[in-house]
Amino acid sequence: MTAGSERVVERLFFAAAFVSAFVTVFIFGFLVYYGLPLFSGGRFFEILSSPWAPHQGSFGIYPMIVGTLAISMLAMLFAFPLSMGCAILISVVSRGWLSIGIRKFVEAMTGIPTVVYGFVGIFLLIPLVRNVFTAGSGMCVLSASLMLAVLVSPTMILFFCDSFDRVPSSYGHAVLALGGTRIQQYLHVTLPCSWPGIVVAVTLALGRAVGDTLIALMLAGNAVQVPGSVFDSARTLTSHIALVFAADNESLEFKAIFACGVSLYLFTTILVLIIRLAAHEWGKYGQAR
Amino acid sequence: MQSSTQPFVPSPVKIRVSNLFFSYNGREVLRDTSLEFPEHAITAIVGPSGSGKSTFLMTLNRLWEELPQCAMGGRVEIMLNGIPQNIYAPDCGVEALRRRVGMVFQMPNPLPMSIFKNVAFPLQLAGEKDKNMIHRRVEETLRDVGLWDDVKDRLAGSALSLSGGQQQRMCMARAMILRPEILLLDEPASALDQKAAEAIEHLLVRWKQNCTILIVSHYLDQVKRIADSVVELHDGRLRNRQVSTSRVSL
Repeated sequence: MTAGSERVVERLFFAAAFVSAFVTVFIFGFLVYYGLPLFSGGRFFEILSSPWAPHQGSFGIYPMIVGTLAISMLAMLFAFPLSMGCAILISVVSRGWLSIGIRKFVEAMTGIPTVVYGFVGIFLLIPLVRNVFTAGSGMCVLSASLMLAVLVSPTMILFFCDSFDRVPSSYGHAVLALGGTRIQQYLHVTLPCSWPGIVVAVTLALGRAVGDTLIALMLAGNAVQVPGSVFDSARTLTSHIALVFAADNESLEFKAIFACGVSLYLFTTILVLIIRLAAHEWGKYGQAR
Repeated sequence: MQSSTQPFVPSPVKIRVSNLFFSYNGREVLRDTSLEFPEHAITAIVGPSGSGKSTFLMTLNRLWEELPQCAMGGRVEIMLNGIPQNIYAPDCGVEALRRRVGMVFQMPNPLPMSIFKNVAFPLQLAGEKDKNMIHRRVEETLRDVGLWDDVKDRLAGSALSLSGGQQQRMCMARAMILRPEILLLDEPASALDQKAAEAIEHLLVRWKQNCTILIVSHYLDQVKRIADSVVELHDGRLRNRQVSTSRVSL
């Protein structure tokens, strides 16, 4: 490759990176601009902490923030061990057709549209939750977070598997040749070496869990309330945006969805920063061992 | 390195391989190989590249079972604690076997952890909890491979920061810390300079008093210097090349 063409390619890459970063900043600016009537006069924090009662002039999104947190965190709580166990089965424990078969199955799961998960949730999961726990209609935080866990797991599993597979085979052979078991190989070498990939997988899955609209909209019940238990109905920020979107676009009610957008944006950014910081600290600890 | 005046006394058999077949991806690598390896001796395995020397070593600690698309037939019997044991018998634990049959690879393969932890790792895998004993054994073994003085002040440092020769000696220390009865070496000096290679040769000659050593080597000079016997792998079969009480003729 000549120096000239190399420069062109370099600039193309730079342009791609710049556009990606700019779009992210632009979206944030767009949200803040259109939500200004609600943010002005220091009302932003009031919106974050007050209830939603548009007929009384209160456009707070506190219940939706709690609903989003509850559903997405619970979904991650279910999804992480499930995904980790499945990835260990694929990449560490099983060999041959079993490993390949499960991996293909998980890959196929990533292509299933979210609405299909939603339908499965409505017709299978909600009756199950209703009958097993005999708590209300079954449209609740638990149902939404269980189905959301199923939705985000395939992505996490594949990322975990890729991270495990990238660990040099020489490490694995060293452990096994020293009389270690595959589980010891996983715990002592594969897992510590895969840490960066695991962090990326969790971050992506969390982003998807927080940002997903349809599952919560179809399964969580959408009641505007702070859920007191996992069997209570709840509304997430994304569901709220979808439900309020039909309102008059000049109304403050409509403007409130931009506050939801800003909150989602800040919320995911803070979570990603916390995960990265924790991973960095853990990584330092891991290296010092 | 070997005395030419010692009378020839046949050593007891440590490893007996009978009718060994091995295929990789359907390609036959070893066929109908039968051979015995003497105890407390260094046996060099020579042969062209890709002839299956490394594969043969892996049949002695069952490491090939971790590779995909491999198949093996035949019998491998090893004297472990003085008792002949079919290592492919269902009651032979593979982890216990690999603690008795150590292995050093062609490329140094330190694990991404500290020097101390690398060397102590086999003890940890074996469930050893006595920290004093672990510290003592790590120091003994590192002294044995001549690495203690180089690393005693940076045992907590990463093993990946060591030079190639130091890494390989550390890997040898790691393989020897469990005091295995057999040590398999797959061209351990091929990535090292002459001085580092000589240091490893001296170690092996010393270790054979307590250990049976099988070494794959491409270096005929090295084989002549240290091997008590030589087997050649040719056309999928192992055969004795020549056994001498003093030096090996190639």
